[in-house]
Amino acid sequence: MNRFLTKDFLSGLMFVAFGLAALYFGQHLAVGTPVRMGPGYVPRMLSLILLALGVVVCIVALVSGSEPVERPKWKPITLVTLGIVCFALLFERAGLIPSLVVLVMISSLAGEEFKLTEVLGNIVVLSILCTVVFKVGLGMNISVVQGIW
Amino acid sequence: MDLLDNLVLGISVAFTFQNLTYALLGCMVGTLIGVLPGIGPVATIAMLLPITFHLPPTASLIMLAGIYYGAQYGGSTTSILVNLPGEASSVVTCLDGYQMARNGRAGAALSISAVGSFFAGTIGTIIIVIFAEPLTRMAQKFGPADYCSLMALGLVAAVVLASGSITKAISMVFLGLLFGLIGTDVNTGAQRFTFDIPELSDGIDFAPIAMGLFGIAEIVVNLERHLERGGAIKVGSLWPTREEIRRSIPAILRGTLLGSLLGVLPGGGPTLGAFSAYTLEKKLSKTPGQFGKGAVEGVAAPEAANNAAAQTSFIPMLTLGIPSNAVMALMVGAMIIQGIQPGPEVMTKKPDLFWGMIVSMWIGNAMLVIINLPMIGMWVKLLTVPYRYLAPAILLFCCIGAYSLQNSTFHVMQVAIFGVLGYVFVKLGCEGAPFLLGLVLGPQMEEYFRRAMLLSRGDAMVFIERPISLGLLITTALLLVLMALPSIKKAREEAFQEEG
Repeated sequence: MNRFLTKDFLSGLMFVAFGLAALYFGQHLAVGTPVRMGPGYVPRMLSLILLALGVVVCIVALVSGSEPVERPKWKPITLVTLGIVCFALLFERAGLIPSLVVLVMISSLAGEEFKLTEVLGNIVVLSILCTVVFKVGLGMNISVVQGIW
Repeated sequence: MDLLDNLVLGISVAFTFQNLTYALLGCMVGTLIGVLPGIGPVATIAMLLPITFHLPPTASLIMLAGIYYGAQYGGSTTSILVNLPGEASSVVTCLDGYQMARNGRAGAALSISAVGSFFAGTIGTIIIVIFAEPLTRMAQKFGPADYCSLMALGLVAAVVLASGSITKAISMVFLGLLFGLIGTDVNTGAQRFTFDIPELSDGIDFAPIAMGLFGIAEIVVNLERHLERGGAIKVGSLWPTREEIRRSIPAILRGTLLGSLLGVLPGGGPTLGAFSAYTLEKKLSKTPGQFGKGAVEGVAAPEAANNAAAQTSFIPMLTLGIPSNAVMALMVGAMIIQGIQPGPEVMTKKPDLFWGMIVSMWIGNAMLVIINLPMIGMWVKLLTVPYRYLAPAILLFCCIGAYSLQNSTFHVMQVAIFGVLGYVFVKLGCEGAPFLLGLVLGPQMEEYFRRAMLLSRGDAMVFIERPISLGLLITTALLLVLMALPSIKKAREEAFQEEG
């Protein structure tokens, strides 16, 4: 199994997957002729090349081996992504401060140390800073707390 | 004398109060973010892109250039003081810079690096001024087929010179090209890969991609690695000793020369310049044993080289519209967003922008020295702020920045998605830079390709029949063949191992 869990083999697979996806989602685009290329001509060409390159990367990785993939730590990437997604969902509905609190809370959990007092302090400082810079200073058209300011 | 007129025009643009302010602001913010450990120039520029978009084109490019220098300078500061390089080009500075800091010569290392960078930046700017016009004139003779081949050469060369595995990097270019196609097809109006999302029909936005791919992914990787830093930082006297000056002057000169030359090459840029300069100094030195133990030449030469290269890498971007590394790809993206198509027309159609930017490059370099050396104490304080405070703050600014692009949370979502993709790239050892180059050049390359094929009535031979195009393609092929040769391949792998 370890032969397959290498950086190069998995990258190859990723390229193949992207190539196939591009072919699939681009299948309705007209290819046209070399003189009058349709919107699908170049995408089709690129997807096929990417597919071929992906296969080559896979084969080379299997034949000559490659570095094993480091085990990913799920916590940072999951929490950071979650934080940004929450921010995106909350920003227009609830305003700057609520989304800021959620983002800073969640992303602080991603680190190794989490001390509630420190995080709260960080939130206070950032709230003031962002309100002053973005709302007052740059005059961005955003609400600090939806419905209030 | 044309050159003088141009310079006068440039000076008149760059020395307006507004543009001076933006240059200053760019340098400051760039240093501010660049000095944060583990964040290199690409990430810094990617994260700060949104703040420049609302400015007029000239001001925004001046500010971006300022951010670039600031970020690079900030990177050297972290390398010297805490041994945490932000990106590959400052890895070399760590070797001797950090040792100098441990010997109590941090101040001297910082000021030599600043003065060396300034000198190199000045020479680099002069080189741009001299070569910009002839190169542009040459580029104006290019037809669509030639352009297509030129871009192919630029992409391949960038990949070959700057990345680890060639096949993977080329695949990344193609992946980037594919992503670049997202949006409405210019010729037919057909929707391509837009999945009925209205925000995608204008083409995929490049800023959130860069922010996610470089900014977010970098933060996550730093969080994983759990950045540590050692003890209190003492800067000491900023004045180098007479002996240090005597030894660094020739090193700065050689570094500048080497850096300027290598910077022009596609994929050259600061990293290659810094590494070669370090190796050269070590070879020329009478006391090579001192390198790695705090040799002042080991700081002066690579710092001068990376700054010279940072300057001259603007040449292919400004004259031909071909970005040679990730930073230049970001610049191209920023120009396109400002409605300027990078290429030879920029100089003829927008001379004020072109020459104003060049002059302000020099101003930016001067500002760095003047402002940053006295402010070094402040940057040092910033270095002592724990990462657990910084990471959420940076994330927050990225999110607000992404939102401000078009007042849409869709862009924030995009940042999240490309953050994950960027993380996958890092884990799989796939470089983000080739992807970004492909993404930026994709739409233009398709355009040129289709136009060339239309003009030749569908005959692909046009790429071989036109002498310029043929020459460029032969060079491209030669590069690829060269890299496949066993001896070169081995040397190259060794060079990259040293880097990593």
